Amino acid sequence: MRSFSDYLRSIDDAAFLSLFSARPDLVIPVPPDIASLAVRACSAPSLARAIDSLNQWQFQVLEAAGTLTEPFILKSLIALTDKAAAGALEHLISIGLIYPSDDGMRLPTQLRDVIGNEPAGLGPVSIAKLKLAELDNAPTDAMKVLERLIWGPPRGSVGDIKNPGPGVTWLLERKFLVPLDQRTVILPREVAIYLRGGKTHRENLINPPVLAGTKRDERQVNLAAIANISTVLRWVEELLNFWAEEPADALRAGGLGVRDLKIIANHLGVDESCTAFITELAYLTSLISVDSDDRIMPSNKFDIWLMQTPADRWQVLASAWLITSRVSGLVGRAQAKNVAALGPELDRVNASRVRALTLSILSENQSIAPDAPSFIALMNWRAPVRRNSSLQEELAAWTLREAEWLGISGQGAISKYGVGFLNGDDLNLINDDLPKTVDHILIQSDNTAIAPGPLEHEISQQLAIMAEIESRGGATVYRFSEATIRRALDHGKTGDEIKAFLIKTSKTPMPQPLEYLIVDVAKKHGKLRVGNTSSFIRCEDTALIAQIMNDKKLEMLALRRIAPEVVICDHDAADTMRILRESGYLPAAESSNGLMLSGSRKNRALTKPRPPRVIGEIEAPSEDLLNTAIRAIRTGEKSSHKQTRLRQVASEALGALPRTTANETMDLVNRFIQEEKSLSIGYADNNGSVTHRIIDPIRVSAGALIARDHATGEVQSFRIPRITGVAPL
Amino acid sequence: MTDGPLIVQSDKTLLLDIDHPLSTECRRAIAPFAELERSPEHIHTYRLTPLGLWNARAAGHDAEQVIDTLIKYSRYAVPHSILIDVAETMSRYGRLRLEADPVHGLILVTTDTAVLEEVIRARKIAPLLGARIDAETIAVLPSQRGAIKQSLLRLGWPAEDFAGYVDGQAHPIELVQKDWKIRPYQELAAEGFWHGGSGVVVLPCGAGKTIVGAAAMAHAKATTLILVTNTIAARQWREELLKRTTLNEDEIGEYSGSKKEIRPITIATYQVMTKKKNGVYAHLDLFDTHDWGLIIYDEVHLLPAPIFRFTADIQSRRRLGLTATLVREDGMEGEVFSLIGPKRYDVPWKEIESQGYIAPAECIEVRVNLTEGERLLYATAEPENRYRACATTRTKRNVVEALVEKHAGEQVLVIGQYIDQLDELSETLGVPLIKGDTPIKEREILFNKFRTGEITCLVVSKVANFSIDLPDATIAIQVSGAFGSRQEEAQRLGRILRPKADGRTAKFYSVISRDTIDQDFAQNRQRFLAEQGYSYKIIDADDVFQGKI
Repeated sequence: MRSFSDYLRSIDDAAFLSLFSARPDLVIPVPPDIASLAVRACSAPSLARAIDSLNQWQFQVLEAAGTLTEPFILKSLIALTDKAAAGALEHLISIGLIYPSDDGMRLPTQLRDVIGNEPAGLGPVSIAKLKLAELDNAPTDAMKVLERLIWGPPRGSVGDIKNPGPGVTWLLERKFLVPLDQRTVILPREVAIYLRGGKTHRENLINPPVLAGTKRDERQVNLAAIANISTVLRWVEELLNFWAEEPADALRAGGLGVRDLKIIANHLGVDESCTAFITELAYLTSLISVDSDDRIMPSNKFDIWLMQTPADRWQVLASAWLITSRVSGLVGRAQAKNVAALGPELDRVNASRVRALTLSILSENQSIAPDAPSFIALMNWRAPVRRNSSLQEELAAWTLREAEWLGISGQGAISKYGVGFLNGDDLNLINDDLPKTVDHILIQSDNTAIAPGPLEHEISQQLAIMAEIESRGGATVYRFSEATIRRALDHGKTGDEIKAFLIKTSKTPMPQPLEYLIVDVAKKHGKLRVGNTSSFIRCEDTALIAQIMNDKKLEMLALRRIAPEVVICDHDAADTMRILRESGYLPAAESSNGLMLSGSRKNRALTKPRPPRVIGEIEAPSEDLLNTAIRAIRTGEKSSHKQTRLRQVASEALGALPRTTANETMDLVNRFIQEEKSLSIGYADNNGSVTHRIIDPIRVSAGALIARDHATGEVQSFRIPRITGVAPL
Repeated sequence: MTDGPLIVQSDKTLLLDIDHPLSTECRRAIAPFAELERSPEHIHTYRLTPLGLWNARAAGHDAEQVIDTLIKYSRYAVPHSILIDVAETMSRYGRLRLEADPVHGLILVTTDTAVLEEVIRARKIAPLLGARIDAETIAVLPSQRGAIKQSLLRLGWPAEDFAGYVDGQAHPIELVQKDWKIRPYQELAAEGFWHGGSGVVVLPCGAGKTIVGAAAMAHAKATTLILVTNTIAARQWREELLKRTTLNEDEIGEYSGSKKEIRPITIATYQVMTKKKNGVYAHLDLFDTHDWGLIIYDEVHLLPAPIFRFTADIQSRRRLGLTATLVREDGMEGEVFSLIGPKRYDVPWKEIESQGYIAPAECIEVRVNLTEGERLLYATAEPENRYRACATTRTKRNVVEALVEKHAGEQVLVIGQYIDQLDELSETLGVPLIKGDTPIKEREILFNKFRTGEITCLVVSKVANFSIDLPDATIAIQVSGAFGSRQEEAQRLGRILRPKADGRTAKFYSVISRDTIDQDFAQNRQRFLAEQGYSYKIIDADDVFQGKI
């Protein structure tokens, strides 16, 4: 009989290609030869990954195969399932979960461990010969017992095995139930399959469930998506501009506090889960950085990002989102421990897999906005919920929500931008389809200005300093107030500059009250000047000095008047400024040589951004890489084959202990476990001296070979690294 | 993307570009479900609120129509979340209905038992309910009709009220349109109200709200209780009703501090209704003891709290609220809507102005520089006296004098808050003063003299803020006010908005002390009018002295 590695040696490049495409972990890193490739392909983690890629039907067929004794043939597999099993079997072979040996189909050794001891809820094979026809006439008591065990789990508990009920007794007598211990009985596989009507599963889920949903108009979908795209770009920009002004403090354990999250949610006018999503986007794309003082600030990359076209900006965000293992949906989930955005607890292994699956379902069903239950049903067929997948349904729901926020979908159905993005097409159409930017605003006499569309970047940056945003969307409504004008002055603008800018930008004449507001604030701005080290307040206006000296709100500053125009105080300048401002004054800072300290500010973190690492999923390698890998393995195979031959010749000549490389050891061990043959091994003891043992291998588990030692007759475990070599007897 | 006039923002505001050719059409289309928030010169702001959407449902519009309208006129893609929200909000309306049952009286009926189960478990609702009749029906205490509607609204499950209104005691009333004609918007407002059953009509000052009231009475043809702010207003209502309707003097009664007449049409003041005798409201019975077919609340934005409470108990009578400025600095607008009824008619001031029904007005802020001494006084004043200190400066008096002189020959009102200041002004200018303690009789004489032109200038305190009809006043000079009250500013402007015989522009001066909180308050006061499209012009006091304006 052929082993799995023999099988691998026999297949052509095309088969390798399809194997590696389906299981990229086999070539990352590229294994030196086929023996090591076989070992990796038969290792439990790799098998588990491969099983994760199966759909419900393929998994059913694999389970059915798991119930058969090896070697088996297609016909018996079909008997247990359905004619369609042939197609599934072909797929299972192509990804190396079943392989054709010379005597029939076989499973890689550890596969049974991975799919579990009770595939499809079936118990072990009966040792005794059974007369299954008797089951047709089983008494009612026995039928009741059987009904409970038939669809698994096959184990049932009885009060006391020595004193069972009449049904159990009838079954035990005919070996239709086998006692496991004092209280447990188990239903043998044959009995269950017989009672299941000769099939392994109640229902063969050959075809995927049909996706139900609302049919959407393609034009509306794309319109909605482009609106979402422009919104998400605006959100990210506004978030970072906000943090540039007021950096958030990272929590000691890492991440963003609930309070800061709420502040941003409020600022952006979105809910907290959306805010968490936006902050995570910025984090994934290195647009933010945590500096040495644990402040979260925009990084230099933000400025570069801002200079890109909208399509490029969007692609940066969408690409990072697509592959990340971080799940922003976990933030602030009801009835769960609070998980911080940007924190260390957001990684989930299957996140990007579920995301990719969700998006592929969306793109296979264009112009349909799926209904949630139907979507989940299809999703669970495509990727049956197994280990680590407890979050699968929530992950899918979050992905749908986030795809909408990103504009990959619009009105719930995938957009042309989403399709283009997933296919890796040129996304320039986003630039063309985004609403044209406008280069003007309309100033109205109620001190608001309206940008009737997305503003040109330069203008919106300037306006953001001079005015407060009151309403967002396709258009932006800005409101001017004393505070916002003061902020612009604080940024180093003069009153005349502000006026000139607004007159130039506004399509409507500047209302007089706004002009007065600017002039008034500019006139007052900087009248009060506050020093930094030995903080002082200076003002040429003695009445104003009198006013602040008398202001009860300023009592805490303990002001002292040292000259008609100068007041000093013991607080540091920043506090003084703050308190003065809070009390309604308009102070400005002053340098040691009497110059006003104000200038344009753009806060950027000095530290290098450290985006989170993607865990869990392995990115699919390109075809070139796969071909290179195949060449490398073939070359490695040739040379290691030669070496093995040389070593064998040498050892036969010397009559010494068997010596094989680690990979050859595993390969041989796997083969002998299947063939149930004894073998001779060299095994190093605790002191490093190598002894010769004759053993019957049983299985490999947790880095050890479980085998019966002929010398002692006991089953013991041999640590695989200590096995110096294996040879057949 | 279309090139529509409407921009739907993600915060549920709608921006309407009024320079767009489709703007009028679009305004008509969105008016049934969106509330007008601001209407300055270029872009009007509307807002989608649950209340507005439910009112639209009540008026027979469904979610699909609303969504279609938004998509049709929108310049950019309408955010999907808003479409979903509109559909969801509107679908909540009408699941609960209040009906009059011949056997059980007032009942709450549902088409969705889950909703009924939810609301009857609410703590605020349970005490208002009677016995459960069947799975879909529960009795409601008839006296709690207002309270239950209010609470259901807060829970987000508004009840559609099919219980109807009592007709009240019939009384024939007709409009008499001999030498005048009801204006189209007044007719629309009255009809909008009548079809809706109850509600609030918002019209600018001077746009003839009394006539909307009279038209509503002509619809109701029943005994009517009219609640007004003060006695002068009561008498003006009476004059108007005599002039515009078939009613004669004997049919109209005044229920005020001085008279207690109850007639088919009774005009009562808020003051007398809320007067307490031995700790109880002695006159609130007026609501109950007569079978009124209609209750009109004039200047509904001033509705005092006890009246609110009582209004909740008379939900089976038709209620009409009238106001120009439904902004309350106490934020009680919501209460007005749920107790009197939703807004049934609203129109931008500037639109009425463009139709010529109110006089065009120019708003001018005159900034005066304080003298050095005044500044020092202001600077050292206690915080609670600061506004007074800067609002009543001597410098202002000179400006007022110059302004009055400049407008000699026109009808001028000088309006202020502080009596000392007004006393001084009255003395300086040599004109009579009307204030709180001026007897009604004397007030009436002075107002009449002003109307006939015998006096051309009057100094008035806040007693003249509302409901005083002075058709020929063209100039108002405001020297001080109730801090930053937006509606006071609008009401004061309203005193001079009656259309002038010669089509003259009215002028509204505010005299403000520069660089003080007077200026800050002025900014807040001006917000409402600025949002209505009035643009303020700022000039310097020196310009007044030099005659540059």
